[in-house]
Amino acid sequence: MAVQTTELKPSVPSSPLLDFWRVFSRNRMALVGLVMLVAIFVGAVFASQLAPYDVTTSENITINDIYNPPSSTHWLGTDDAGKDVLSNFFFGARVSLIVGFFAAFISVVIGGVLGIVAGFYGGRVENLLMRFTDIMLVIPDLPLMVVIVALTKPSLLNIIFVIGLLGWTTTSRIVRSQTLAVKSRKFVLRARAIGAGNSHIIRHHILPLVMPLLVVNAILVISLAILDESTLSFLGLGDPTALSWGQMLNFAFGRGAMSAGAWWALVVPGFGIVWVVLSLTLLGHGLEQVLNPRLETHHLTPGRPVIRSEIPWRQETKKGEAPILLDVRDLSINYITEGKPPARAVEKVSFQLHEGELMGLVGESGCGKTTLMLALLRLLPAAGQIVGGGAYFTDKELTAMSEAEIADVRWKGISIIFQGAMNALNPVRTVSDQIAEAIIKHSPPIPRSQLDARVVELLDLVGIAAQHKDHYPHQYSGGMRQRAMIAMALACNPQVVIADEPTTALDVMIQAQILELLDNLRRKLGLSIIFVTHDLGVVAEMCDSVLVMYGGVTAEYGDVDTIYNAACHPYTQELLKAFPDLSNPEKRLASIPGYPPRLEALPAGCRFAPRCPAAFARCASEQPALHSLGEDHFASCHLVEASP
Amino acid sequence: MTQAYFLEVYNLRKLFRAGRPGIFSRKARYVHAVDGIDLNLKRGEVLALVGESGCGKSTLALTLMGLEKPTDGKIIFDGEEITHADDRTCKRLRQRIQMIFQDPYESLNPTQTIEEIVAEPLVVHGLERSAKTRQARVVKALEDAGLKPADTYLRRFPHELSGGQRQRVVIAGALVLEPNLLLADEPVSMLDVSIRAEILNLLADLRKTRQISIIFITHDLGTVGYFADRIAVMYLGRIVEVGPTKEILKNPQHPYTKALLSVIPVPNPRLRRERVILQGETPNPIDLPSGCRFHPRCPKVSEECKVSDPAWREPAPGHRVACLKV
Amino acid sequence: MKRQKYLLNKVAWSFFTILFVLVLNFLLFRVLPGDPARAGVRDPRMKQEAIEAIRIRFGLDKQVINCFESLNPIKVGSCTVNPFDTQFFIYVRNLLQGDMGISFHSNRPVAEILVERLGNTVLLIGAGQILAIMLGVAFGIIAAWKARTAIDYAALLSSLLAWSLPTFWLGIILLFWGSGHGLPIGGKATPGTSSLPFLQQWGDIARHMLLPTITYTIVYMGEYMLIMRSSLLDVLAEDYILTAKAKGLSTFQILKDHALKNAMLPLVTVIAINLGFTVAGALQIEAVFSWPGLGGAIYEAVVRRDFPVLQGAFLLIAVSVIIANLIADLTYSYLDPRVQSE
Repeated sequence: MAVQTTELKPSVPSSPLLDFWRVFSRNRMALVGLVMLVAIFVGAVFASQLAPYDVTTSENITINDIYNPPSSTHWLGTDDAGKDVLSNFFFGARVSLIVGFFAAFISVVIGGVLGIVAGFYGGRVENLLMRFTDIMLVIPDLPLMVVIVALTKPSLLNIIFVIGLLGWTTTSRIVRSQTLAVKSRKFVLRARAIGAGNSHIIRHHILPLVMPLLVVNAILVISLAILDESTLSFLGLGDPTALSWGQMLNFAFGRGAMSAGAWWALVVPGFGIVWVVLSLTLLGHGLEQVLNPRLETHHLTPGRPVIRSEIPWRQETKKGEAPILLDVRDLSINYITEGKPPARAVEKVSFQLHEGELMGLVGESGCGKTTLMLALLRLLPAAGQIVGGGAYFTDKELTAMSEAEIADVRWKGISIIFQGAMNALNPVRTVSDQIAEAIIKHSPPIPRSQLDARVVELLDLVGIAAQHKDHYPHQYSGGMRQRAMIAMALACNPQVVIADEPTTALDVMIQAQILELLDNLRRKLGLSIIFVTHDLGVVAEMCDSVLVMYGGVTAEYGDVDTIYNAACHPYTQELLKAFPDLSNPEKRLASIPGYPPRLEALPAGCRFAPRCPAAFARCASEQPALHSLGEDHFASCHLVEASP
Repeated sequence: MTQAYFLEVYNLRKLFRAGRPGIFSRKARYVHAVDGIDLNLKRGEVLALVGESGCGKSTLALTLMGLEKPTDGKIIFDGEEITHADDRTCKRLRQRIQMIFQDPYESLNPTQTIEEIVAEPLVVHGLERSAKTRQARVVKALEDAGLKPADTYLRRFPHELSGGQRQRVVIAGALVLEPNLLLADEPVSMLDVSIRAEILNLLADLRKTRQISIIFITHDLGTVGYFADRIAVMYLGRIVEVGPTKEILKNPQHPYTKALLSVIPVPNPRLRRERVILQGETPNPIDLPSGCRFHPRCPKVSEECKVSDPAWREPAPGHRVACLKV
Repeated sequence: MKRQKYLLNKVAWSFFTILFVLVLNFLLFRVLPGDPARAGVRDPRMKQEAIEAIRIRFGLDKQVINCFESLNPIKVGSCTVNPFDTQFFIYVRNLLQGDMGISFHSNRPVAEILVERLGNTVLLIGAGQILAIMLGVAFGIIAAWKARTAIDYAALLSSLLAWSLPTFWLGIILLFWGSGHGLPIGGKATPGTSSLPFLQQWGDIARHMLLPTITYTIVYMGEYMLIMRSSLLDVLAEDYILTAKAKGLSTFQILKDHALKNAMLPLVTVIAINLGFTVAGALQIEAVFSWPGLGGAIYEAVVRRDFPVLQGAFLLIAVSVIIANLIADLTYSYLDPRVQSE
């Protein structure tokens, strides 16, 4: 059974290294840091060639040469011994860089080994190592270094060792937690299941995933080591024979540069330290961003403006029908990413939700159903933008509202039950607090006792005993948390409740409980519900109408009986076939070959055409319109066009 | 004379210590993850192990794989007792017993290429020293798992593939050693509905062509209907009902099985039927209920259920139930 | 119940760490090369008897620890030294009595010198930390909220720059600039002001504190800002923020009631871990500005090779940091409800 490979990116011969460089060079911080570092490195390596004067001899130096300001003979002036500051600067770079790198090397090796051993082997070994690390972390670094160097010889080698032997603590902690994280990942379990031993796992699985973090940390450690060496030298504990920048500052400060007004003797060495440390910091930060790209947009990032377009008039309620609460008309939503064409996540979707109706919104991953729901309450992520159509809630048009107006509709008019209730509730606030917050926001002030009573009432409605009200979310089980989310969603007596995959990741029995609860609540409170799911079976159990989405467009829309027993769109038909039917367990399960389309690279014609068993020539080039099949039944397929 | 059974499990138990023993702790408490399981499996047979989270099915798989050491009981594989196998035996067994995991997004190391991933078992066991023969075996495994043309996949990384493709890679990785027994731990629960069938069909085909025995672990009774020869239902570390697939689906005896079957959504609104929805959640496997473990949630509970642990009853040949009411 | 166990655990562990530091401190000064009494005493006028008196006072004539030789497995059973008569025990006994020895340089009791200075360091660190935390948190919040805008980049870059400045060098530059603008060039107070009325005296001290505190604040503000920004960015991307927004809460309400508390937790941890580093900063600042604090005491002791003061100051600093860490740990456990029920 072959599988199409159309989803794979076009094969460009590239090595991971080239890929990395491409991403790296796009990060300005990292690039600037690297350039700065290379510059000072070159300066240090070629110090003898770059330095205009030979600073090892004191020939030709008289007392008049001390603290001369910058001039044409000495571009950066002279120091307390009459030597050229610029030349000393280059040689000083050598010392600082050497000490920094070697000391950091020692620290990183120690820290890395300790971290991996502790994280991987666990048990007593880990306990011991981590306790030791904790102690060393608490003891203040610099005073300890000062004490040790003061009591021993202040030689360069000594300093390198002292800094190196005390600087591993942060590295070991970071490496250990990363090792622990990797160790618990499924692919390590798989490696064990294959029969891999510890050394194989460490070499092939742990190390490659720890390395990036270690590199970023190493850069940080180098910068700290350089700072430490400068500080120790400044305090008089440096190697007097090796004139590092810190040592230059020690001499300048201690030998009257301030009173002589010789700012160059003070600024230049310090500038060197800042240059190197800043370059490493920029490089480290940039590298971290490259290795761990974070979107840096969040839920409070201001959204994009709605693009106004001609919105069709509201659909009028037909005689004898329950009033229409939610009327979505040709809503289109794009996701914008820099440098790429917009992803058309939702395109011209329409539906009507009547009072008391339970509509099922069905589709597989990436079909746009959650995007559609979020757009109604204007909760799209920063990259999302409504680019066409509109949505009426009772008589108000949601896409035209200001932020203040929509905030009023949120929760009070329409509320959402999110999926994955683990993180949907704030872990450091009690459940009752979070429910009460919604009530307080949308109603006039009520006394505390009344508020509490209402919270208890809501929890009772969903079957949670009052004693749990002041507990924290982590003290609730998965099923309970979902119920708490439901209770919270009902807090302000909304007219419409959107349930976004509320039972995914729950056990079948808990799922059944939650579904039964939702059904009962709907009847009891007269709610209208949109139930978003990928599970056709669930929808058949409970819903009045069904909207099937595929690749961001409506595939089929109608009442539940029609959809299940008289589906017209090939996707709906195939999806139904893929569903196991327990009344006929021996039937071989059908599947739909291929994969859902990528929203940035949608096919030219019908989005389902690549996978459709009934596709013909027109399907590949022309997108079908939404055809009416009578009696509120719609399907977007060329095959149904002929029907009246 | 070949043995009747390929895999035999007798009274298997795996207990975990609950919490850390403090200086002033009372009697030690244990998580009864697997608490007395009897199983058997013929060559080329598919056994579906059905249960909800916390029933111990994953622990059972890990114990059978040797990734957890049994606390008690016996495991016999192809006539050889492997319960307390030493490391060398364990490693040898890995070539014959393989596992497929639930999460296709996490089961693959993101820094390895597909070729490296599928070749890893060969490398670990020192088979196929030459890179060429290794690659040939990898290609064969990928094609057997339905990824054709295989050479376009070799240098890809997991993040370039979809969920279904990744799961096929996982299966290829399990197949490359040509095992006799496959433990599939919820292999399709994280895939889209329209893709599940292809993976299930793949496993079914493999069973036919290679005579691989499969223990298929799932919480979804619906997917096992056509694929499994027998179904075993697990609850709180024990099997409460086991029997031929058709028999269990048409004639469930244990109240838990009946409830599970009744809540499976049927994709036909005209067939909305009476559902037995059990209240409450599965009690934790540390403080087990007395008598029959299911009694706190059982719709048919009576006084004797709270006291006596039910023994096996056999209402039909090959169909066994642990319930006092049968 | 679980929380009490947790707290007890933390306190016991801090106690153990202090013990470790005691032993470390002791070993450093006894085991590292050189007879501290002779090496430290530079004064050539000191008579032999005086040197002997010092040695007896510090117990330098006794065994270092009990039966060091008996660790040699061959020589078993020849240990006759009373463990209480060892250097280590004398050291601990003296400490418990508040005796940290006598300064080589000034001949005053070390404890007396250090206690005076402890207050000055707390004053300086306290002021600097409070300012650094306030400003760092404020800028961090703004940067995270306005992520990826010009404000954010500016804040990010200036924090990275501030972090890259060596503390002592920043102090030097500010001192240099300040001395040209009439600010004092060192010390805590102008000589002769101790007799002035309270306000004028503290006004003078404030003038002396100005530059050191600014230095301190600039260095640490950068780091706190980075952490707050990072932590808040993580929090603001969490699902419960979307839930809060869906409830109709305003941006301000969300920041106040949902985001900040969660984002502060990592900051508390970092402040705690940082306490060791902030002491390092204090050391440098006190050295540059001649501020009479513990850090300055260490610096001067190093310059003068005044080992008793060095040893005492190090011990005092280490113990203070350990205790401060403990307090931070306990505070964290009160802020995060997930901690006690694990």
